[in-house]
Amino acid sequence: MTDTRIIAPEMWAPLAPEDGAAAVGRPSLTYWQDARRRLWANKPAVVALVFIILLILGAIFGPWFSPYSYADQNLKLANIPPAFETYAVDDGQGGTTRFFLNASNFNLYEVDAQGHVLGLLRGGRKDMIKKIQPYTFGDTTVALDYSALPARLVAADGSTISPSGWSWNRTYLFGTDQLGRDVLVRQLFGARISLTVAFVATLVNFFIGIFYGGLAGYIGGRTDAIMMRIVEIISTIPLTLYVVLLMVVFDSGLYSIIIAIGSVFWVDMARIVRGQILSLKSQDYVAAARTMGAGTRRILTRHLLPNSIGPIIVTLTMLIPSAIFIESFMSFIGLGVTPPLASWGTLTSEAVETMRAYPHQLFFPAAAISLTMFAFNFLGDGLRDALDPRFRK
Amino acid sequence: MPTYILQRLGMMLLTLWAIVTLTFFLMHAVPGGPFVSERMLAPEIAAALNAKYGLDQPIWVQYLSYLKGVLTLDLGPSFKYPGVSINTMIATGLPVTLQTGLLAVICVVALGIPMGIVAALNRNRWPDTAVMMIATIGVAIPSYVIATVLLYVFALRLGWVPTFGLDDWRGYVLPVFALSGFWVSFVARLTRSSLLETFEQDYMTTARAKGLRPGQILFKHGLRNSLVPVVTVLGPVVANLITGSFVIEQIFALPGIGRQFVLSITNRDYTAIMGITIFYAAALMVMILIVDLLYAVLDPRIKLSGARA
Repeated sequence: MTDTRIIAPEMWAPLAPEDGAAAVGRPSLTYWQDARRRLWANKPAVVALVFIILLILGAIFGPWFSPYSYADQNLKLANIPPAFETYAVDDGQGGTTRFFLNASNFNLYEVDAQGHVLGLLRGGRKDMIKKIQPYTFGDTTVALDYSALPARLVAADGSTISPSGWSWNRTYLFGTDQLGRDVLVRQLFGARISLTVAFVATLVNFFIGIFYGGLAGYIGGRTDAIMMRIVEIISTIPLTLYVVLLMVVFDSGLYSIIIAIGSVFWVDMARIVRGQILSLKSQDYVAAARTMGAGTRRILTRHLLPNSIGPIIVTLTMLIPSAIFIESFMSFIGLGVTPPLASWGTLTSEAVETMRAYPHQLFFPAAAISLTMFAFNFLGDGLRDALDPRFRK
Repeated sequence: MPTYILQRLGMMLLTLWAIVTLTFFLMHAVPGGPFVSERMLAPEIAAALNAKYGLDQPIWVQYLSYLKGVLTLDLGPSFKYPGVSINTMIATGLPVTLQTGLLAVICVVALGIPMGIVAALNRNRWPDTAVMMIATIGVAIPSYVIATVLLYVFALRLGWVPTFGLDDWRGYVLPVFALSGFWVSFVARLTRSSLLETFEQDYMTTARAKGLRPGQILFKHGLRNSLVPVVTVLGPVVANLITGSFVIEQIFALPGIGRQFVLSITNRDYTAIMGITIFYAAALMVMILIVDLLYAVLDPRIKLSGARA
């Protein structure tokens, strides 16, 4: 019986290099290279990043390319949908008029073959009792019968005219609202407001939040206790309550929202940074830096903050959507931006009033805010996975 | 424990005092008094009104009397609805807000936790993907969007539920769903990740090695330990459900405190704004304290002490 504890000497012989045993499994990467590599591997996060970049570009440059401004009204072209069924009527003189029927306000709008809206068609006298309105095109007369819903078009011989096709609205890509304003441009202005709020929230978190948290964590002791008590008082009350309160005082408007969000939005960041600094400041490298004569400022900015940048960035991407949400929430309950300025929140709340008749007005702002929230959430998740060393594969 | 509770109560009073002071002076900094309107009041009437509501006194006298009112649970009269006190306003709105809020909390616990468990047990298989997809949608879409879309589909298009009011149980479905949507998703995500982390622990391997039944492993060893972070967020959940009701009550036209609050803001009814803010703040702090105490009871490892991490 051989002793299995003795390993045969030939087993200790090195493998031939071509077996690849000595090759390094992966290139050595710095923290940021590794984080970037993992972020790029996360498809939803990349898509989200691209979406956010497109949104920023669209919000900045989009309104320049539009012939309309967010406040331009055209009451004759109110509540036009983004797509419609077109009818074509031969006027008996060699011409054809194309138009579509807005089934909710019983108006006919002339359109061209490509789907550009040309204008409102004027009909003849309405017969209020029979609920019929005649429209004359040259020799042909068509009657709009709205006595039974949905409204239908009736030819002179009493037969119902069916639509000849459907088309996208080329003049107003997203349709118009109840005052005939272009929904697309208003959406882009809404994006501007949301992004401005996001930008301010970022700035405030970066400067006040990091500074406050860093100082509290680094100095510690009594200063820390008092500073954190203040933070605790502020964060006991939900942020929305503060913002509402400040909005009442400052009057509603974009500046008030910015002031309101700016004055209380750094609290979470301050807590995160303080926690990080507290756990980092007892590390050996900080002691080493202090021994070498580095001042508080240098230790904070060169040693402690760079080492807690991961959690800071993740917190930031998580706080941005909540800032955007607060703005749209305030605008939704009527405390946000004032008309005619549009924000996604006001667009949604205006659309709620008419959603039975014009659901498209609800769809676009709701989709915009939801997609933006999705994007920031996915990006935040992706960054968290990328920046957290525990997820290294 | 008693020292801890006393400490927390002291902190609460301090916070509440800060909030009362802040709201009081903010409201008084607003240009224009409560009786400024398009219709000019005769100076005698204005003076009489100011005297009636004590507005002719110096500001610190007003502040002290308001503070005394808050301490004796009297939040004063409404400036917009003569003869209605803020206490009455809160008392009429509270049942509605509490009912919907409580149902939403039940929803969060009864839906969120099981969803998280199902996802964690079926990691990377279709139930997990489905739960995570729903949870991502729930976290990302604002409650007012969910509420309006639900209203459009279920109340207008399908007609299954009424568009407003709480006349029967069907009226509760949409508001509660819209209110709890975010937190159900949040709790589901949290339960899933916490449970997955617990599954990696050595004592779980031990439990499996001992030959315990899967149910026992999950409920006695896994879930108990992974629910700690979930219970921690329940305090803020309650707080958020109650403030979340601003929008939900507005959309579904429910006569709760949230709607009352929004209405008093648009009416510029300053005493009502102040009173409801203070009420909210106090209610939230009490609820967070209760959840923190429960949390210590549930988890024997947690030692209550003055400082929170």
